[in-house]
Amino acid sequence: MIPFPAWLDTARLAELVTALSFGTLVVYFVRRARSGVDIQIRRIPGLEAVEEAVGRATEMGRPILYCPGLDSMDEVATVASMNVLGQVARRVAEYETPILVPNRDPFVMTVAQQVVREAYAAAGRPDLYREGDVYYSTYSQFGYAANVCGTMMRTKPATNFYIGKFYAESLVMTETGNATGAIQIAGTDSDAQLPFFICSCDYTLIGEELYAGSAYLSREPLLLGTLRAQDMAKVAAIAILLLGSLLAAAGAFDSRAYLPG
Amino acid sequence: MKQTGPLLFGFVIGMIMFLQYFIPQPPFTVAYSLVLDWKQVVFGVSLILGVLSLLRFHGLRIRGRVSGWAYSVVAIVGFALVVGAAILQGTETGGYPWFFRTIQSPMQSTMFSLLAFFVASASYRAFRARTVHAALLLAAGVIVMLGRVPVGEFLAFSLGDQRISIPAISTWILDVPNLAAKRGILIGVGLGMTATALKILLGIERTYLGKSS
Amino acid sequence: MNGNERQPGGWIDRLTRIDRRIIFLGVAIAVATPVLVPMGLPVKPTRESIDFFNAIDTLQAGDVIVFSFDYGADVRAELDPMSVAIWQHCFEKDLRIVALTLYPDGVGIAEQVMGPIAEQFGKEYGVDYVFLGYNADWSGTMLRMGESFRKTYPVDQYGRSTAEIPLLDHADRFADTPLLISLASSAYAEWWVTYVGGKFGQKIVTGNTAIQAVLIYPFYQSGQVLGFLGGLKGASEYEALTGRPGAATRGMDSQSTGHVLMVLFILLGNLAYFAPRRRRGSSGTGRTA
Repeated sequence: MIPFPAWLDTARLAELVTALSFGTLVVYFVRRARSGVDIQIRRIPGLEAVEEAVGRATEMGRPILYCPGLDSMDEVATVASMNVLGQVARRVAEYETPILVPNRDPFVMTVAQQVVREAYAAAGRPDLYREGDVYYSTYSQFGYAANVCGTMMRTKPATNFYIGKFYAESLVMTETGNATGAIQIAGTDSDAQLPFFICSCDYTLIGEELYAGSAYLSREPLLLGTLRAQDMAKVAAIAILLLGSLLAAAGAFDSRAYLPG
Repeated sequence: MKQTGPLLFGFVIGMIMFLQYFIPQPPFTVAYSLVLDWKQVVFGVSLILGVLSLLRFHGLRIRGRVSGWAYSVVAIVGFALVVGAAILQGTETGGYPWFFRTIQSPMQSTMFSLLAFFVASASYRAFRARTVHAALLLAAGVIVMLGRVPVGEFLAFSLGDQRISIPAISTWILDVPNLAAKRGILIGVGLGMTATALKILLGIERTYLGKSS
Repeated sequence: MNGNERQPGGWIDRLTRIDRRIIFLGVAIAVATPVLVPMGLPVKPTRESIDFFNAIDTLQAGDVIVFSFDYGADVRAELDPMSVAIWQHCFEKDLRIVALTLYPDGVGIAEQVMGPIAEQFGKEYGVDYVFLGYNADWSGTMLRMGESFRKTYPVDQYGRSTAEIPLLDHADRFADTPLLISLASSAYAEWWVTYVGGKFGQKIVTGNTAIQAVLIYPFYQSGQVLGFLGGLKGASEYEALTGRPGAATRGMDSQSTGHVLMVLFILLGNLAYFAPRRRRGSSGTGRTA
């Protein structure tokens, strides 16, 4: 029988405490949200613009292009993108506007097809869903970008969404979208690509604003509660950072001793 | 069961992967190894899924004579040629490496090189010092751009008896304000990832089942 | 979005509306000219490159390292010179290399880098280096390799059983390798740090495209990454440190002129943006937002 202390890797105790604390926060705020407490989110311009962007496409009689990013479903940004896609697709179904969703990853394509199909069904227009509109493009990064650019030049969408994880191909797509005169809304946690999106898109969701997207658009209590828990955890992290910085500055401990290796 | 099964499965596997990180003993380590093995199988299958989807998409476009269907013919013919070459001649010699060296590699490099042109036009159009923040961003961008190339070494000024070059300022910008901002974003994104992972574990987040919120 | 108000006529007004194609042509000329007329600008290694170099240079002959080609054909111009310089340095020091790739097209790239350099230094496959190949599941691969390279890759890229490869007798998991090198064009470098550096304590150095290199600073400053090379400049610095100037060093001239031209375009655009406003201000009509 292995003695109890040997069961736990004590070198990772700090991470365990952090994970459990954060989990407790999430559970607490989700329960609070479920009990009916109103949770406020500050205004996020990029998400406020979704309704306007869909309406614009409807008026112009042109489709909407939605790029869910280049990574697979194990990437949090892609999960967040699918949530936003569901909300966008619901509005698109209500307005009867076509939506095109090119995918780089086959898993993501399958999920996106399901999300869009369900959104159309929820809006009472399952007949409008066309499977060919949510399609697999190619796994090649720039092949995907070329496909998206070609689609933009041919179909001239009124609104382009770039929501998810992006890499170097982002500017190629957004500049092409700019040339076609589309409204562009981007959202990513890839901070290397944020400057390019900010330069070339009308609205950009930065980092966690993307994760907040589905909570913001749906106003679902469970999601709002998790968002509040994230914010509280960030407050705690800031407090610990400040305390640690002050103590290190006062020489209370040698911070170099904690560097890896 | 259609809904509950995947959620339960996700919870169990997620908890195993979570617990094995802190409890390095069997049965967690054994379960962990098994999960990793199955993960590899699933990824392999997903590639097949992607190929079938690609063929189906282009096949439908050709059959329906949709606008641009000729490009779909090119895609399918290219696919058949590369796969055929790999099967008949192997992947080390013959057509397969030739396709990579002669067609794929130059094409991908060409697409990537377009970025240089797009960055120039985006910078010209968008980098305007309209506000104080924009002006600071502009100044930092110009300094870092010049500091990251050899010509920056020739751009310097004296402060007292110290020579301060553009690369030195560029290094400071990357080491201090850039690092601070990156760390802040990393911490925020990390918390967001943890929250999303927790939501998936607890079944609050069901997007992977095709259910949007 | 632009917010400029158009003044009738004038060259300054035209400066605010330069056709994109003129900009593209300017960039093409700026980048191509040094290729035809090299300037030979000197390259000064930075602290990050020196640390990367030292991480390899301080290893002992016979040490086994892991090298991951985590990039595709699109960024070969930036990362191939790094790969070549590093492999030459490693073989010069008689280090042994376990190579792999997390990109499907990394296989072709790896073979084009490894083969000629191994031949140049008289290195034998299976003894001095091995190529494990591509595995679709990148996170599983990273985690699994911490337990066993052989279990993660039962066969190498060429179908040979890894149980029969002599090199892997000396190194079958990260604990046996003093260093891991990842050349990455995406977030794989960060994932190596997170999954492998964090879980197995593996020492890591990374080579990245210029865009991705900016993201590595937090990991470098905290010591999670011992050193890194950023883009073509990083590759040229490494070539300077190893004393083998190559493609990266030649490319720095073009990069210099390209950057200078971009800065000029930005300054021109701002000059054109502000000039009409100053004219309106002096005529007493006030400044627009």
